Parts: sequence; structure tokens; C-alpha cells
Amino acid sequence: MKNNFIFSIGLCLVATLMMMCTPQQSEQAEDTTAAVETHPQGQASVVDDVSDKNILQVAIGSEPHSTLVAAVQAAQIEHVLVNAGPLTVFAPVNDAFDALPEGTVENLLKPENKSQLATILTRHAAPGSYDVDGLKREATKGRKLYMATGDYLEVVVEGDKITVGGAEVVATVPASNGVIHVVSSVILPK
Amino acid sequence: MKTFIKINTLLIACMAFIATSCNQGGDSSNGALSSNIAEKVYVAPGERDEQYAFLSGGYSGNLTVYGLPSGRMFKEIPVFSQFPTSGYGYSEETKPMLNTSFGFIPWDDLHHPDISQTNGELDGRWIFANGNNTPRIARISLSTFETEEIIEVPNSAGNHSSSFITENTEYVVAGTRFSVPVPQRDMPIKEYKENFKGALTFIAVEPEHGHLDIKFQLLMPGFNYDLSHPGRGKSHGWFFFSTYNTEEANTLLEVNASQNDKDFIAAVNWKKIEEYVNNGGGKKMPAKYAHNVYDESTHTATSTMKDEVLTVDPSEVPGAIYFLPTPKSPHGCDVDPSGQYIIGAGKLSADITVHSFDKMLAAIDAGNFDGDAYGIPIIKYEDVVAGTVQSGGLGPLHTEFDGKGNAYTTFFISSEVVKWKLETWEVVDRQPTFYSVGHLMIPGGNSRKPHGKYLVAMNKITKDRYLPTGPEMEHSAQIYDISGEKMQLLYDFPTHGEPHYAAGCDADLLMNNSKKIYRIDENMHPYAIKSPSEAKVVREGKDVHIYMSTIRSHFTPDNIEGVKVGDKVYFHITNHEQDFDVPHGFSMIGQGTSEILVMPGQTKTSLWEPKRVGVWPFYCTDFCSALHQEMQGYIRVSPANSNIELSWSLDE
Amino acid sequence: MKNASILMIVGSALLLGLFVFPMWNIRLGAPQYPEPLGIDIHINGLQGESEFDIQNIDGLNHYIGMKVLPKPDEMWEFSVFPKVVLSMAAIGILIGALGLLGKISSVWFLAWFVIMGILGALGIYDFNLWLVDYGSDLDPNAILKLVNPDGTPMVYNPPLIGHKKLLNFDAFSYPRLGGIMLGIGMLFSLIAFFIGRKATLKAN
Repeated sequence: MKNNFIFSIGLCLVATLMMMCTPQQSEQAEDTTAAVETHPQGQASVVDDVSDKNILQVAIGSEPHSTLVAAVQAAQIEHVLVNAGPLTVFAPVNDAFDALPEGTVENLLKPENKSQLATILTRHAAPGSYDVDGLKREATKGRKLYMATGDYLEVVVEGDKITVGGAEVVATVPASNGVIHVVSSVILPK
Repeated sequence: MKTFIKINTLLIACMAFIATSCNQGGDSSNGALSSNIAEKVYVAPGERDEQYAFLSGGYSGNLTVYGLPSGRMFKEIPVFSQFPTSGYGYSEETKPMLNTSFGFIPWDDLHHPDISQTNGELDGRWIFANGNNTPRIARISLSTFETEEIIEVPNSAGNHSSSFITENTEYVVAGTRFSVPVPQRDMPIKEYKENFKGALTFIAVEPEHGHLDIKFQLLMPGFNYDLSHPGRGKSHGWFFFSTYNTEEANTLLEVNASQNDKDFIAAVNWKKIEEYVNNGGGKKMPAKYAHNVYDESTHTATSTMKDEVLTVDPSEVPGAIYFLPTPKSPHGCDVDPSGQYIIGAGKLSADITVHSFDKMLAAIDAGNFDGDAYGIPIIKYEDVVAGTVQSGGLGPLHTEFDGKGNAYTTFFISSEVVKWKLETWEVVDRQPTFYSVGHLMIPGGNSRKPHGKYLVAMNKITKDRYLPTGPEMEHSAQIYDISGEKMQLLYDFPTHGEPHYAAGCDADLLMNNSKKIYRIDENMHPYAIKSPSEAKVVREGKDVHIYMSTIRSHFTPDNIEGVKVGDKVYFHITNHEQDFDVPHGFSMIGQGTSEILVMPGQTKTSLWEPKRVGVWPFYCTDFCSALHQEMQGYIRVSPANSNIELSWSLDE
Repeated sequence: MKNASILMIVGSALLLGLFVFPMWNIRLGAPQYPEPLGIDIHINGLQGESEFDIQNIDGLNHYIGMKVLPKPDEMWEFSVFPKVVLSMAAIGILIGALGLLGKISSVWFLAWFVIMGILGALGIYDFNLWLVDYGSDLDPNAILKLVNPDGTPMVYNPPLIGHKKLLNFDAFSYPRLGGIMLGIGMLFSLIAFFIGRKATLKAN
């Protein structure tokens, strides 16, 4: 009988320990934003080594475009460049950024100037896929190129030289979601 | 001993107290957990979802039914595509549903479902959907979840700015994407400009049974008509269509249709045109189109070929149509719950354009236009625009509303949903989508009274959201909770086919009207049998009609002899169950069609053309009961010249 | 005596409720039948609680070899019981009226109650006989022949009253409004007797 009594007390203790509600506490520890944080990066973070490279991947792989890539990342518009598109991107080389007045790039890369930087970069992208022939056709038909910001840029062809909004196209690289034209200068608003 | 009991009782009481107090602790932590995202989409086993969502299946040709917030798929409703799962488009009764002026077309591209409305609010009677490729409009019953009617749309091609309804379901509207020669004829493609026409078709919906009949076709200029929505409330009586390719290009539209700085939203005063037509206006034109109606009492569809359509030339109804300039190839053309604002989402633009219905009327009154296009007055942009939303996103496509003064627009290129305020046009919130969102849906979000708790974003690109399944994956959708100031991403779920658009409503609107069985005593199918004793086999030349019944777990008859090679054997199967969710299936070896699934009280017919001598089995394809595997039968097939008499039996 | 007689008339009249409302109900619930199948037992026949319940119960029962549920003309009870009830109600109302006129004493009320009680007991006994027969007289060629752990054939009669587990089904058997009205009516006749007797004793 005494044993029974001790057993009862023991049972009570076990019960008390069990009732410390540990499972609930661990659930509480899970943050409410878990669903979002599991994959916060968006399409630019998709890992894919097999498909043709998209505009962002081409740019990242190109040493002369390191400033552009840094700017795209600072402006947080990577996802636009991996979108299904099609997009035509005029990609200024590092020298083009260097040619800007001193301090311009550093200033634009500051977080508070993010939207200004995004606008400048978006002015380098046109919805649609315009290869060299496409650009020439626009020039022949006297049509301006409609950019993602809503601006229109003039395409001028002089012999083999093509300029868009005053920036000379020095090379053209096809990408899976559009075309990259490497340009020698940054296209600034008039 | 007594003491021991007392102490033991005390101990038990102590345990009970701890247990209770701990439960309370659990409850309070549940309170804290209510903000947990998982809990918001968790519908416990046996519990049911709050809302229905009907997602278009795109190139599957069908409509899928999901629950919100769980994202669970409940059903795929066959509409424009043959569907072996039920035998739709394979059974003799449903083959006529897919008849068109081009013959039997077993597939289409289903885009934009829209639920019927009364006084601008969802009434849950029917859902309409468009077939994009071979232009058709379907009406689906929301009590049986079956396609009841399909009408072909003549003079149309790429039936895209469809199938939206007016606020009392007076009309379901079908606008053409491609402009084409009207009537069709052999002509050079280059002569597109000024020769091709874009037909906007107003199909009257008979109020009691929902039967469809083309009231009139408006033959508009040769633009592309993309999406449309009805006016509601104050703008009831008008319909708005977005256009692109106002350049009237016929090649490389990617570039050539993106030239104009502004395209149009066409504002159509359909009440005025209706009046014109009712007074004898319009011109009857020969046109061939199919009208297919499924009758629930005979469980059978009939197809009728029509030969005439009433067309209206816009120039003959002055004051009925106006163009509202809208930047850059607008896709979505959405009207807010009050009917005051018409939202045009220029898909190549960064901004969203909002037109004001009141300003439009004032501009029309003032008569001060910016010229015309093919005789249709163009209202000055400044005179009609109420505001623009400087979104900061790229590629706006489609907008819906929550009924609390907010609008939600999808952005394809920047992969996001942007929430903004009507009238102040300020952006309140933005959330990424995964990836490249097309349309979004808020249940009732396209009515006077949105049921705005959840938002479903339907994405075009899936990439790495789920375990990979080869190069092609189901598209992905996301559910957001929009009850708060900020949108909250709750859940990802895969969808079937390609959802282009969706409609949704509260579960209460439909669940109590959902049919459980068809009454056998109301079955008017000409080959139905009301009792197994009526089962028989009848030969009419080469045609053999088998009047068969099913009940758990046998066919009556299940042994049939006297069928010959070269016969056409029609199995008319009546399911005598009158019990919810007890269909029986039927399939026959070597049959060139699909199985059929026969609902309780229904009769369906399956055709079999035996080609080989032998004894061939058939069986029930639906696991109907514990003795489902016993539910089978044999048919003896004799040579064509055999003189074996027809005979049939069950357990003799 | 006036009150007692009125109570007697009302009590007897309550029997007529059996012609409007079901007397008894048997309900069968199972996981695959979230809306249980139900049989309402009326004085003159059986009726499904939902329209096709009888058909569906018969459909399920054929697996275990039970007979189909009887139609009104297949059981003498469904033609005799209405006559008995109607007669008893008429007699009750008559003796109540006679009591009201002071022609008879309240002992008649008790007599009516006793007779009604005997008839009721017989009815319940008969009902139970039928339940047992229905649940145990099984087709020897039944699809499923189940035996109890002790080897005896399993029987499926629903309980006379209360709950019983029959395979995967939960069977519930309870009186419905008609049966309850019958009970109240009989109680009224008994109360009428006591009130009447008290009044008579007082008067004397």
C-alpha cells in the first residue's frame, strides 16, 4: 500500500514534468515569416547550370561589366534581367561608368539612391528582342526604341556604326531571354 | 485504507489541475500562434475550405476547382477537351458538346472563367468560360459542375477578350483577339489594314436556364481585342475592351504592334446597341456556327448548326462606342467595384492608367474629341484619365479589387503583386511572386462585392519552386492573405494546365446547391431503364443496343451472346444507385474510346465495335464497393455470318 | 373531475399524432455516411429519413444477406396498428367525454391506461421480434457471412432502444415525435385517473 502511495506521487511528478508544454514552446520559436524566408531571393537565385545563360548570367560572367552588375544588384533589379523577357539590354562597360563625373557611381550605389539608380538602369532595357538587324530595321523605318522606363531612344546607323541614345554598340551577345548590346557609354536622360 | 484513497484522490486532483492549467497554457500559446502562416492555410482533415477557386486550365481545355486557403484541388471539369476520366467527349451523349462548324474539335484553350452575377454580385448559378482557339463560349452549371452548353462564335479568331458577363448576366461577351476578314475570304494577308474586322459578340443569357443566343456582333476596326470587363453600378450598360495592335500590323507584332504610344480601351454602350437591334437595327449575315446544349433530364447533348448572325456596324449607331487612349498595349481592362474606374494595364509600360467613367461621360457631353478611328470618336487622354499609378514595377497585366478601396495589380516582368489605393493612386505594398505572374484572382474581385480575404497569383514560370519533374512542370500559384494592410504570402501550390485567369466565391454560395445524385425517376434518357427487369438487348441491323443497369456490385445483364464482328454495340448504362458519390464505370476490352463514368441515376452510352471473334470481358472502372472487383461481365462475339440469336442474362 | 376528463381527452387525442409523425427511428451512421442513413417507422409503414435511404440500406444489407425492408402490405402490423390506435383514441376520447358529463368514474381512465399499456407492450414485443428476425434471418448465400468469435453467425438486428455497433455502422434506435406523443398521452391518462380519484375522494 505504501508502494502504491509512492507510485502515485511519482506519477504526479512525471505528469508535472510532462505538462511543461515543451512542444508549444518550440512551435512558438518558429517565426511567422518562415514561408517567405525559405526562398527570399526570387528568380535570380534559381540554380541552373544547363540552360543557355540569361542576361544577368552573361553580365555576371563578363569582367568588363562588373560595375554594371554591382549597380544592378544595388538597385535590386536582378529579377527583371532573368525574367522570360524578351528584353534588349544596352550594357555599358566599366570604362563607360568610369567616364562619368567623379563620384557619380559611388553616389548612385548608396542605398538611399536605389530608385534613381533603378531608373537609370531600366532606361538601358527595351521590351522585345532587337538584334543588330532589328536595330538597323528600326533605324531604317525611322522608329525610336521604346525603353522600359517609357523613354524613346533614337537609333542611328552610320555605316557599320550603330548608336542608341548616343551610346555606341561595340559588341552584341545573345542571351536566353533576349539580347545584350555592349555599349561604350552610359545612356543618360537628355 | 480510507486515508490512502483520500490521498490518492488528492493526487489525482493535483494532476488534473496541472493538466488543465497546462492546457490553458497551450491555448494561450495557440493565440500567439494564430499569426503563424502555416495555420492560416491549414484545413484540418474533415474540415472544409472557406472559398472555391475556379482556375482556367489554359491548354488543358478544362476548368479546375480548388479550395482556398488550402490550395487543394477538388475537381477538373471537362469543358472543351475530351476527358477520359469521366468519358466527356467520348460518350455518345457528350460527343455533340464538342461539335463546331469545323467538325468535332476535341480540344481548346480555356482562358477566362467568370461566375454569373445578379445586381453585380456573384449568384453562383453558372460559370462561363471561353475557348480561345476555335472560338467558343461555355456555360457550366455550378450545381452539377458539368458543362451544360457551348456556343461557337463566328467571325472571331482567338476568342480572348471573353467570357465576361454583365452585372445581371444579361450577356456573356466574347471579343476577338485576331481581326480577320469578315466574312472569311481568300485575300492577301498584306491587305489586312482597313479590311480586317474585329468582332465583339454579345451573347444573351436566358435568365431562367442560362441558354445562350448571339444577340449581335459588333464589327470593330481591325485591332486586337485583348481583355474586357463590364461596367457595374453607375457604369452598368457599358462594356470596356482593351486593344493592342492599333497599328494594324499583320507581321512581327512583337515589334510592329508596339509602336503606338497609346492604344485604346474601347467603351461600348451595349444598352444603346441593344435598343438599336431591338428596333430592327443591324444586318443579318450568313455565318455557320454550332450551338450545343446538354439536357440534364435526358443526360444528352444535342448540337444545332446555326446559319445566320446579326452584325452591327459601329458607324450606324453613333454615340454608342468611344475610344479611350491608354498607353502601350494594355492587357487588363478592369472595372472597380463602384463602376467608376476603368484600369488599363499597359503591359509595356511601367505605369497603370486609370480612366474615370464620370470624366468619360463629361467628355462625351462636351463633344470635344481627339479625332476618330474608323469613325469612332477618340476621347482626349487628358479628358478621361483619372490618374496613373507610378508603380515602379515593370509589365503590369491585370488588376482586381478587395472592396475596401484597394486595387491589386500583377507585374509580369518584375514578378510582383502591387497593392495600391484607388483615388490617391499611391502604392501601399508590393510582394514578389514566384515567378512572372500573369493574372491574379480575389474571390468576387470582379464584382460589386469582392470577398477579399485571399488573393491568388497565377504564375507563368515555376523553375525551382517544386521538386523537378523534367523540362515541363505545372505552373505555380501563390496565395496571399490580403486582410491586413500588408499582403502576406501564405502558400505555394501547383496548378494544372496553364491558368490564365480565375474566378472564386465563398463556399456557402455553392456548397448547399451542389447536386448529390440524379433522380432515376426523372431520367428521361431514351435508352434509360428504370428497373433491372427492363434490361434487354435489341438488334437494329448492324446496331446492337444493350439496355444495361448497374447497382452494387453487378451489371444487368452480365452475359450477352449473339453479337457479331462488324456490329456497332451501344452500351446504354443506367446507374440505379441513388446514393451520393457512388458512380459506376464501364469499359470494354479493345474499345476505341475511353471508359465512361455513370453518376447515380444517370444514363451514359459507350460505343464498341467488335473486330475479333471471342468472348470479351467488360468491367466497372470505379472502385464502387467491396465487391467492385466482382463487377464484370462477358460478351460473346461470333463471326459476322453466324446465326446465333441475341440472348442476355444475369445469374441464370 | 372536469380537469381530469379534459386531460383524458387530450391524452387520448395525442395518440392521433402517430398518424402524422413517425413513431420510432433507426439511424445508421458510418464514416462513409457522414449524413447517416435513417428509417422512420410510421404506424402504417417505413419511410427513409432522406428520400433514398431505404433503397441504400437495402443495397448495403444485401451484402450480408438481410431481407429488404418490408413494404406496408408485407407486414400485417402496418394495417392493424392504425386501427388499434384509432380505436383506442376514440375510446379514450369517449370515456373522457363521459367523464366530463359525470356519467363514469375515473377508474375508466385507469382501465384505458392499463389496456393501452398491454397493447403497447405487445407492440414493442412484436417490434422486437421483427428486429431480431430482420437481423438474424439471413440469406444462406449471402456475399459476406460473418461469425462471432465463438463461431455463431453474426446477427445484425438494431437495438430496440439506444445504440449498438453493427460492423462499421453505429445503429441508433430512439422514439420520434409520434412515439413521444403516445407516451405523453398515456401519462396524461394516468394523471387524469389520479386527479379524478382525488376529486371524487374530496367530493365524498
